[in-house]
Amino acid sequence: MLYALRYRTYKMKLLSVLKLSTICLGVFIALFTLNSCVTNDEFEDSKRGNFEALWTILDEHYCFFEQKNIDWNEVKERYAKQFDDDMSEKQQFEVMANMLSELKDGHVNLYTSFNMARYWSWHENYPQNYSDSLIRKYLKTDYLIASGMDYTIFDDNIGYLHCSSFQRGIGAGNLDDILFYFQPCKALIIDIRNNGGGALTNAEELAARFTNKELLVGYMQHKTGKGHNDFSEMQVQTLKPGKGIRWQKPVVVLTNRSVYSAANEFVKYMQCCPNVTTVGDRTGGGAGLPFSSELPNGWSIRFSACPMYDKNKQLTEFGIVPEHKVGLTADDFQRGKDTIIEFARSLINAQ
Amino acid sequence: MKHSFLTILLCATSLCTQAQDTLRTGKIITNAQMVGIGTVNQLDTYLSPEEYKGLELRYLSHTIRENGTKFSRELVHQSHLAYTKNRADNNQEIGGAYNFQYNVLYELGKWDTSQGSLKVKAGGGIDANLGFLYNLRNGNNPAQGYANLNLAPTIAANYEFRLWNRPFQITYEAQVPLVGVMFSPQFGQSYYELFAKGNYDHNIVLTTIGCAPSMRQMLTFDCTLHHTTLRFGYLGDYQQAKINGLKYHTWSNLFMIGIVRKFSITKIIP
Repeated sequence: MLYALRYRTYKMKLLSVLKLSTICLGVFIALFTLNSCVTNDEFEDSKRGNFEALWTILDEHYCFFEQKNIDWNEVKERYAKQFDDDMSEKQQFEVMANMLSELKDGHVNLYTSFNMARYWSWHENYPQNYSDSLIRKYLKTDYLIASGMDYTIFDDNIGYLHCSSFQRGIGAGNLDDILFYFQPCKALIIDIRNNGGGALTNAEELAARFTNKELLVGYMQHKTGKGHNDFSEMQVQTLKPGKGIRWQKPVVVLTNRSVYSAANEFVKYMQCCPNVTTVGDRTGGGAGLPFSSELPNGWSIRFSACPMYDKNKQLTEFGIVPEHKVGLTADDFQRGKDTIIEFARSLINAQ
Repeated sequence: MKHSFLTILLCATSLCTQAQDTLRTGKIITNAQMVGIGTVNQLDTYLSPEEYKGLELRYLSHTIRENGTKFSRELVHQSHLAYTKNRADNNQEIGGAYNFQYNVLYELGKWDTSQGSLKVKAGGGIDANLGFLYNLRNGNNPAQGYANLNLAPTIAANYEFRLWNRPFQITYEAQVPLVGVMFSPQFGQSYYELFAKGNYDHNIVLTTIGCAPSMRQMLTFDCTLHHTTLRFGYLGDYQQAKINGLKYHTWSNLFMIGIVRKFSITKIIP
């Protein structure tokens, strides 16, 4: 009898709770439809609206304001005056491009159907230290190609690998074949001049063949909020030894001002590996992993979002200085000689 | 006397054998297989600050298992594909998701009217989601992966009635996730850091109704033609979250159509 009474009481309580929950859920549904929408601030698709959107995207996501000592509010004040709704699309683009060039960053671009805004002074204002026709002379015509890389063996038994981009995937099998081909060589020259970057994983894949142990190669951060100083802790970047054939002899990496982004990272990794020397000009930098976004009018924007540092926690955005600073001379060019390659060869042959 | 005892025994045995041939379990399973088409509005500030709008196609399998008591179990599988465009109509996003729900519902009441009967149920269960959104133009942040698991209360009201000597049914069901866990990259964290480097930064987030106010609701109408029950309805699916400094929403409004099958299980013993 007592048990039945208790059962009935529990049942009544359960029913009350469920009915109360139903009412609460009903009330929530009503409230939800009224004011629970998660939305983003939408800028209007006008000349001024697009300017505001561009400025805000960079204000919240760009990662080098502090390191470059840029007063972004002052930039806004200066450029806002130049926007009005009567200006043409091309004028709007020009003013936006000028505003973006204040960031002095090769990873900052504005893409439209008629033009791409860019800042390339980091290589345009310096000697190129690279000649494609000279490279052809060194490679001759019987060079090999694998994974988009050209390679050959010079007469003095030095291997030469020309890697012009990290855009394309580098296969482990291709690397095995390349390094096996270089097996009789006494040293290897890796020419990454004019390599504008690509995927970091491709740069790592190649660099991993030059270490036998896991190395600390740098640090990386990301933004955790909209503030200019909202960054995560520095996360360690390590380079693990590659699976397959690994190079044990000397390596010389050739650089110039057009070595940028993932290629800049490659130089950073290689400087941590044993038996590696860097020769050429300072690299272009580009140490902010870029993200993409867009404006209300559909123009696409790219910007540096995640800063990367070397193993001493120094920013590599402004480039990496090689151990041997060498430039291409006009005399050598006239004689059909690449001063930087020749310097690397003499360095190897002197060892 | 001896003969009549044997006759009774044989009859009893034969009756028992006959009764054990089949076992009616009393379980009734109602399954609806539906497809839907409608509009979708997507926002993922990791990919773009802009809302993308477009078309969504959805498949839904909705099963209710009743066992003769006031408790019933509900299993939902649904998947969708969405194709959306930005405001300027010069870029696209492709999204897809799978959702699984397992709910236990209790019949709160049943009220008979002159035309039919109304049932109200309430309960709750788990709501699991897996999905992706791919932006066709972005570079290092081209896609976003979604994974979340929620505890979600559910209410359902069902009105069965007859008109022109035919059975009809109107059902409304709503579900609101209360608490859960959700995967999300940090505000400016790249997938390269997450998956190539394995750098964890608050990527599994505890969600509540406050930071992830989401809701699913469905209103359906069943009518029987000959021996086939057809189901038409509206599905409103509003999934939202505001975590790690990022904002997400997927608002779907769909017209659904499908077939309902109702059956019971009879166990046959060899």
